[in-house]
Amino acid sequence: MATITAAARTMYPHDALPDDVYARVGEKLAEAGREDAGTRRTIEDGVSALNDGRPFAERSADEQLEALKQIEGSDFFELVRSTAVTEVYSDQRTWQLVGYEGPSFAKGGYIDRGFNDLGWLPDPEAGA
Amino acid sequence: MSVQPDGRRPVNRFAADDPDVIVIVGSGAGGGTLANELCQRGAKVVLIEAGRHHQPEDFINDEWASLNQLAWLDARTTSGSWRIAREFPNLPAWTCKTVGGTTVHWAGCCVRFKEWEFRIRSEHGPIGGTSLLDWPIGLTDLEPYYEAAEDRLGVTRTNGIPAPPASNNFKVMGNGARRVGYTGVSTGRMAFNTVPRDGRPATIQDGFNYQGDKQRAHWSTLTTEIPRAIKTGRLDLRPSAMAIRIEHDGSGAVTGVVYVDAEGNEQRQKARVVCVACNAIETPRLLLNSASSLFPDGLANSSGQVGRNYMRHLTGSVFATFDKPVRMYRGETMAGIVTDESRNDPARGFVGGYYMQLLSLGPSFLSTFLIPRAWGRDFAAIMEQYDQMAGMWLVGEDLPQESNRVTLNRDVRDQFGQPVPNVHVDDHPNDTAMREHAYAAGESVYAAVDALRTFRVPPYPTTHNLGTARMSARPEDGVVNEFGRAHDVPNLFVSDGSVMTTAAAANPTLTIVALALRQADHIEQQLKAGAI
Repeated sequence: MATITAAARTMYPHDALPDDVYARVGEKLAEAGREDAGTRRTIEDGVSALNDGRPFAERSADEQLEALKQIEGSDFFELVRSTAVTEVYSDQRTWQLVGYEGPSFAKGGYIDRGFNDLGWLPDPEAGA
Repeated sequence: MSVQPDGRRPVNRFAADDPDVIVIVGSGAGGGTLANELCQRGAKVVLIEAGRHHQPEDFINDEWASLNQLAWLDARTTSGSWRIAREFPNLPAWTCKTVGGTTVHWAGCCVRFKEWEFRIRSEHGPIGGTSLLDWPIGLTDLEPYYEAAEDRLGVTRTNGIPAPPASNNFKVMGNGARRVGYTGVSTGRMAFNTVPRDGRPATIQDGFNYQGDKQRAHWSTLTTEIPRAIKTGRLDLRPSAMAIRIEHDGSGAVTGVVYVDAEGNEQRQKARVVCVACNAIETPRLLLNSASSLFPDGLANSSGQVGRNYMRHLTGSVFATFDKPVRMYRGETMAGIVTDESRNDPARGFVGGYYMQLLSLGPSFLSTFLIPRAWGRDFAAIMEQYDQMAGMWLVGEDLPQESNRVTLNRDVRDQFGQPVPNVHVDDHPNDTAMREHAYAAGESVYAAVDALRTFRVPPYPTTHNLGTARMSARPEDGVVNEFGRAHDVPNLFVSDGSVMTTAAAANPTLTIVALALRQADHIEQQLKAGAI
């Protein structure tokens, strides 16, 4: 699990985000592994290859990046990457970091909360 | 009267052997509208819908979770040189599987076709590699129905309905477009309420369209046509019912529809008339899966055109980052349009036109689509500028090709044991030339308002699927006539975007509704005359 967390952080590095956000990726993959034996094998083999020698999670950021570049395009890499991009950018802590306020229906929408508050350009003509 | 499985709505029930009912398969823009029209005129309608009956309050304002709730995710395959076959091989299109169909997730752009867009073939003559054909009807035939459709959908800037206000995202695109000299720049003709109308509230600009509209400010068949049809007492709505075959008698007239119900049991509903409105991938699939000894190549397919001429529009987008906040996600996601490039001007290197339309995605979708498969520190840094991004969608006419087609993949079966559809697409050079032009034009718009960086976003699974049961004047050129009536089968109709002979540049829903209203007139007249 620590390997996947470290790999996910290397793929989508946001220094301000806690490890918990990246840990979602390992949880999601574990779930996928429980549902499908082939997926489980891909994950186990991939993780064990990444940990060949010194454990992946204990290596420097540069070494981790290099190790992932080596396996870019493999089924394991793509499985981790596609899961990571979905999990990391669907986390509310990430939303907060990148400045996305998310659902607004319960708050009355954005109609009185800045849907048109951009002030660095003039209001355009309405057009026909 | 009986009660739906969700316990909310009493609906009428017609007997499985009732020979008078009209069976409509699919409850989206075409099927849902047609169902209501026919019910209002006294017909008995059984509306079969593969998806569940969700209500707006159930919609989820979270992109991936909502996709899993509303999207059509049944098995599909892809082939061809289009990027989708590599990047989203099992998701060729982004349509909905729910009562209301894809009207549940649309943003609401309502652009009429232009007069010349009905006859691209005669404007330009044949174009190599295409199967271009003129529509059997023109703008004048559709105009009264466009007017009725705009009133029905409550389209802004028509019928005295106020224009949408300018959102943050529009201020960026609108100013940029004016600065590069475009004049057809506006917040658009949109099927959401800017003032309360027709029993629905004005938009609160909550920023979610593709995930369903929780507040019902947008027109959808879920919140307008279908409840009104139910009120007549003549609609029998059957959600969670997957049509797998249309049956016919020895004379070749259709007699009913076989479907699998929510419990997994096969059911057979007798019909006087069958209307297919399953979107342009499932419609040809159902016709092809209905092959018989009388129709060995599939129902209504003597022309061999069922499934061919699949079109999906240009579909690229341009996003840009700025050094100041934009917050594109606040407000209606598509309320902005630039129309200047929708003209027909082959001097640009391609025929047909395109629109620039506002687009916003949340971080969940944007991270997947902005630069497909990107990762690493540079990409993460781009995502950290999310609140300084603006976006637009590029939607234009793609040309029909016989080899761009929906076929049955007999090697892959769905959960009902049916062969799944395979969608094959190769871009035509005209499509590629238009896309390049549109990318450059979109980038120039953002450059004019000092973008830091612009991104050419490749096409992702589209919501616009067209052409696979096209209208034609001559039976050998297409599947249906000008009313959507099958050339080969007198009591079989197609009632969705599959009938479009060519795609035009416009978002298709308004035209699908207009065609459904025209078809309803025709069916009523034919029923009265005893011709079907």
